Amino acid sequence: MDAQALENEAQSAISSAKTLEELDDARVRFLGRKSELKQALREVRDAETGRVLNAVRDRLEQGVAEREAALRESKLERRLSEERVDVTLPGEATSRGHLNLITQIRREVEDVFLGLGYTVVDGDEVEDTWHLFDALNMPPGHVTRSPLHTLFVNGDVVLRTETSPSQIRVMEAQEPPVYMVSLGRCYRRDTPDATHSPIFHQVEGLAVDEGITVADLKGTILHLARALFGEERRVRFMTDFFPFTEPSLGAAVSCFLCDGRGCSVCKETGWIEMGGSGMVDPNVLQNVGYDPEKVSGFAFGLGLERIAMLRHGVPDIRMFWENDLRFLRQF
Amino acid sequence: MLVPLSWLRDYVALDVPVEELADRVNISVAEVERIIRRGVPDQDGNLGLYRVGRVLEAGQHPNADRLQLCRVDVGEGEPRQIVCGAWNFGEGATVAVALPGAVLPDGRRLERAKLRGTVSDGMILSERELELGTDHTGILVLAEPWDPGTPLADVLPLGDVVLELETTPNRPDLLAVYGVAREVSALYDSELSPVPGTEPERAGDEPVNVSIEDYEGCPRYIGRLFRNVRVASSPPWLKARLVAAGLRPISNVVDVTNYVMHSLGNPLHVFDFDTLGGGRIVVRRARKGEEFTTLDGTRRELDPADLVIADAEHAIAFAGIMGGRDTEVRESTTNVLLEAANFEPVGILHSSERHALRTEGSNRWEKGVDPYLAEQAATYATELVVELSAATWVGDVDVKRDLPEPPIVHFRPARASALAGLELEPKGQLATLRRLGFEGGGNGSITVPTWRARDVTREPDLVEEVVRFHLSEVPFTLARGAAARLTREQKLRRVVEDVLVGCGLSEAYTSSLVADDPAPDAIRLPVPLSAEQAVLRTTLLSGLVDSGRHNVDVGNEGIALFELARVYLSSGEVRPDEHWHVGGIVAGGFFRAKGVVEALHGALHVDLRVEVVQRDSLHPGKAARCDAGWFGELHPAILEGAWGVFELDLPALFAAVPDRLVYEDVITYPAVYQDLAFVVDEHVPAGQLVETAQEAAGRELREMRVFDVYRGDQIAAGKKSIAFRVAFQSPERTLSDEDARALRERIVSALADRFGAELRA
Repeated sequence: MDAQALENEAQSAISSAKTLEELDDARVRFLGRKSELKQALREVRDAETGRVLNAVRDRLEQGVAEREAALRESKLERRLSEERVDVTLPGEATSRGHLNLITQIRREVEDVFLGLGYTVVDGDEVEDTWHLFDALNMPPGHVTRSPLHTLFVNGDVVLRTETSPSQIRVMEAQEPPVYMVSLGRCYRRDTPDATHSPIFHQVEGLAVDEGITVADLKGTILHLARALFGEERRVRFMTDFFPFTEPSLGAAVSCFLCDGRGCSVCKETGWIEMGGSGMVDPNVLQNVGYDPEKVSGFAFGLGLERIAMLRHGVPDIRMFWENDLRFLRQF
Repeated sequence: MLVPLSWLRDYVALDVPVEELADRVNISVAEVERIIRRGVPDQDGNLGLYRVGRVLEAGQHPNADRLQLCRVDVGEGEPRQIVCGAWNFGEGATVAVALPGAVLPDGRRLERAKLRGTVSDGMILSERELELGTDHTGILVLAEPWDPGTPLADVLPLGDVVLELETTPNRPDLLAVYGVAREVSALYDSELSPVPGTEPERAGDEPVNVSIEDYEGCPRYIGRLFRNVRVASSPPWLKARLVAAGLRPISNVVDVTNYVMHSLGNPLHVFDFDTLGGGRIVVRRARKGEEFTTLDGTRRELDPADLVIADAEHAIAFAGIMGGRDTEVRESTTNVLLEAANFEPVGILHSSERHALRTEGSNRWEKGVDPYLAEQAATYATELVVELSAATWVGDVDVKRDLPEPPIVHFRPARASALAGLELEPKGQLATLRRLGFEGGGNGSITVPTWRARDVTREPDLVEEVVRFHLSEVPFTLARGAAARLTREQKLRRVVEDVLVGCGLSEAYTSSLVADDPAPDAIRLPVPLSAEQAVLRTTLLSGLVDSGRHNVDVGNEGIALFELARVYLSSGEVRPDEHWHVGGIVAGGFFRAKGVVEALHGALHVDLRVEVVQRDSLHPGKAARCDAGWFGELHPAILEGAWGVFELDLPALFAAVPDRLVYEDVITYPAVYQDLAFVVDEHVPAGQLVETAQEAAGRELREMRVFDVYRGDQIAAGKKSIAFRVAFQSPERTLSDEDARALRERIVSALADRFGAELRA
C-alpha cells in the first residue's frame, strides 16, 4: 500500500466534500472500519510502518474535523443569511392587566413612608363620632358633623370623612413614639362633579415623638413631594386652619410641568396645592392620654385622586369609578 | 374678601411690589386667590391721557338725533370736539375725558373717530366706563369745578390693585381691610394707623328706645338716631371703593354701612326711623308663624329659633342676616336709625342655613365678631353719615350685658422655637405679637386682643401667631422614624393584585355603597347618598358587573376586571366587620374564572378544593365553592354572554397561606411520566378521580393533571373518557419501570372499585 498516495487521495476527497453528508462518506471510505487504512493498521507488524500509518490516520482525522467545522460554519451562515423577520411586526400577544392608578400611587406613598420608618395602618371606614370628630377637636355643633356633610350609618356611627380616626385608634392603643400612615376610602355627602366624588381616597400621616417640629413636617412633605413629582421639586407652607392641628399649614409643591414659572396646570401660580398639614393640637394628644408637654407631633392629609389627576392629567375624578378599560389600560 | 390696595394704604404704609406682598400674605395670613388689576390701566403713560374737561359748548349733532356735539376744554388752549351720547349735562359741566390713544378699563384703545360724519377727538366718560360705579344712564359730572386739564387721576381713583383673599373660618377679623392692614403691619414691622372714625359732636339728646330680650343671641345693640338726612348717591371715591371691594353702591347712607363693615368687619344696618312701629327696636326670637318680607322681596316665614329685630309690633329684620323691605332707607327717608350690634355666631349660622340666605353680614357673624367692635363701627359710621348726608346726630343708646374680658394666656417664647425647629428671638416674637394687638409678655402673660378672643386661648395658639410669620425660614429635617414594615396581610394583598394583573385582569374601583344587596342584614344608610348608593355592600359582585356592563356598552374588548376592597358585614356590634374581599369578572365563562382562581391559589401556595354550589347570581350548572369563596359563570339573566366571576374572602384565603415554603427534591431522581385515560359515568367529577388516585398511590404520585375529556363514538352513551398526565417520582430513589407499574395498578384498581372506571388501552 502506498501510504502517501492514499493520504493524498483521502485529503483531496475530504477537502472537496461540499456537504456534511459527502464528508461523512469520505470519512467512512478512508477512516471507517472497513477502510484500506484501518485494514492496513490492523495488519501492521513492524513499528516503523505502524508509526507512519498512525500519523496518516491522525492527519486525516484532523482534516475531517477541520472540514466539518468549516462546513458547519458555512451551513449556519447560509441559514442565518436566509432567515429574516420583519422586526416591525407585532410580537406574540400575552394578556397583561393593569394595576389601578390609585393603587400605584398608594404603593408609592406607602413605600416612601416605609422607607422613613412609618408603619402602614388599615383603619376602618365605618367609624364612631368620637374617633372621627370629638377626639379630633371637633365638638358637637361643628359644621362638618352635620348630616349635610357626613354620612351617618346610625346613631353615633358614621362613614369616615377622612382617614384621621385611624390616628386616634393607633394612639389609643400604644405609647409614643408613633410613626404611621393610613390610606383608604373616605366618604362625604358631595355632589359628584369633575373634582368631587362622594367616595375618594386619602393618605393620612402622623408622627408623634419627643421633639417633633415644624421643620420635621416640612422635610417629610418635601421628601414625599419629590418622590411623587420629581427630585427638582420645592415645597412651601402657608398658614391655614384645621381643628386638629395648631399651627395648621397648607402644603404646596412647585409645579412639575413649568417648575414654578406658571402654566395651566398650576393656574399660572407656579405652585400646586398638595393638602393640609400641621402640628397636632395638644387637645388631640390629651384626648388619647399623651402629655403635650413631653411629646409633640405633626399630621398631614392628601387626596390620592388629586395626586393622580395632577400628575397624569386626568381631567375628571369620576373616571376613577367608571372602570373603562380605555382609561385603566393607560397606566 | 376683596382688599383694594388703595384702601389698605389708608391704614398701613406699603412700598413693596404687589406680587411680593401677595406672596407674604399668602404664606402668613390668608390664601391670595388672585391679584386683580382694575380700572384704568396704569402703564405707558396711559393715566396722562385722562383729564378733567370743561364743556364749553354742547348742542345737537347735525346728523344724529341722539348725539350731542361738544367742545371741551382739556387744558390745551384749543378745545377738542367730542361727540357724546349722553344728555345729562350741558355747558359749564366739569367732566372726565379720555384722549385718543387712551386704553380704557375694558382693554379697548380709544381712537380719534368720525361719528356720523363728525370728528370726535376724545370721549366723555360715564362712571361705569371708568369702573367707578355701575351707573351708565349718563356721563359722570364732577361735583367740583376742577381746572380743565387737571390729571383725572388727581381727582378720581382711576385704577387700583385688589387682592382677593380666601380667609379661614377662625379669622373673622380678616374680613375687614383694617384687619388685613394689621397683619401687613406685622409682616413688615410697620406702623398701623389708629382705628378710623372720629366721633362728631352729638347735636341733640333724643331717647332711642332699644330693648334686648335675648342676650344670648344679641349681647350688644348700639342704636343711633339721625335727623334731616339727605339720601343721595355717594361721592365717587366711596362708590369706587365699594365697587372695587365687590359691593354695590346704593345710596350714601346705605353705602356708609357697607363701607364701615368692609373697613372694620362689623356689619351694620340702617332703618327708616319713621317706619318703626312705636319708634322702638326689640331684639327677640321670632314668634311662631311670624312672617315678613326681606330686602330681596322674598316673603319669609320665621322659625321660633330665628333671632329678629322687631319694632313694637312685628319682625322687621333678620338679625345679622338681612333687613326688611318695609323699613328700608329710601330716597324719601329723612330720619335714620343706625344699628351697630353684636350677634352670636351659631344662631346666625343656623338661621342662614335654614333660610338658605347667605349675606356679607351672615358670613361675618357666623364666624364670631368682636363685641367691642360695635362701638368703633358706630363711631366711624356716625362720622361718615354726618359728613356725607348732612344729617344731624340726635340720639344714642348702647344696650349690652357684661362683655367678656380679653383672655390672658401664659406664653413661653422658647416653646415657639422648640415647636418650629427654628431659633426665634424672644424679643422678635413679642414684637410680632404686639403688632397684632397682643399686649404684655414681659412676665410670660399675654393679653389677647378682643378681636382674636375666640381663636387664641392657649399657648399653642400664640405659638401659631409667631410661627406663621417665619414659615419660609423653618429648615427641612426628617424625624427619626421607627422600625416599620408591611404586615403579612398588606404584603399578601399586593401579591394578589400583582398575580391578577399578571393573569390579564385590570384593577377596578367600584362604589362601597350600592342600590341593594343580597344579604338581608346588609347595613342601609338612613339618609342615602342616592338611590344607587344606599346600602353598604356585603359583596363586590354588583359593582364589578356594572363595570363589566359599562365596558360592553362602550365597545371594549377583552374585558377582565378585578377589585380588592372591603365589604361590611353585620357583626352584632355597633360597627360592622370590615372584610377585605377580592372579586373579578372576566369575559370567557366558567373556566376562565377558574383559571384565575387557580393561578391565585397557586401563587399563594394554597390548595384549591372545589365543590358544586348553588348561588342566585351564578349559572346553576356552572357554580363552584372553594374554602375562601366562590366562582363560576355569571347567571346570563344578569349580564348577557359568558362571564366568569369570582369572589374570595381575603382573611380566609390568607389563613391558608403557608408561613414557610420547604424545599422538595424533584431534581435528584427523575420523574416517570405516563398518560392514563379512564372511562367513567358522565356524572363522576374528575376531581374525585384525582383525590382517589392520590389516596391509592400515596406521595409518589407527584402530579395528576387532566389534559383531555372525550365523549363520542368510541365511548358508550352516558360515559366520558378523561385523560390524565401523571408523574411518578420519589425524592429518595429512581423509580424503576416495575415501581411505576405497581403505582399505576394501585390507581387503576382504586378507580375501578370506587367509580367503575375502565382504563382505556
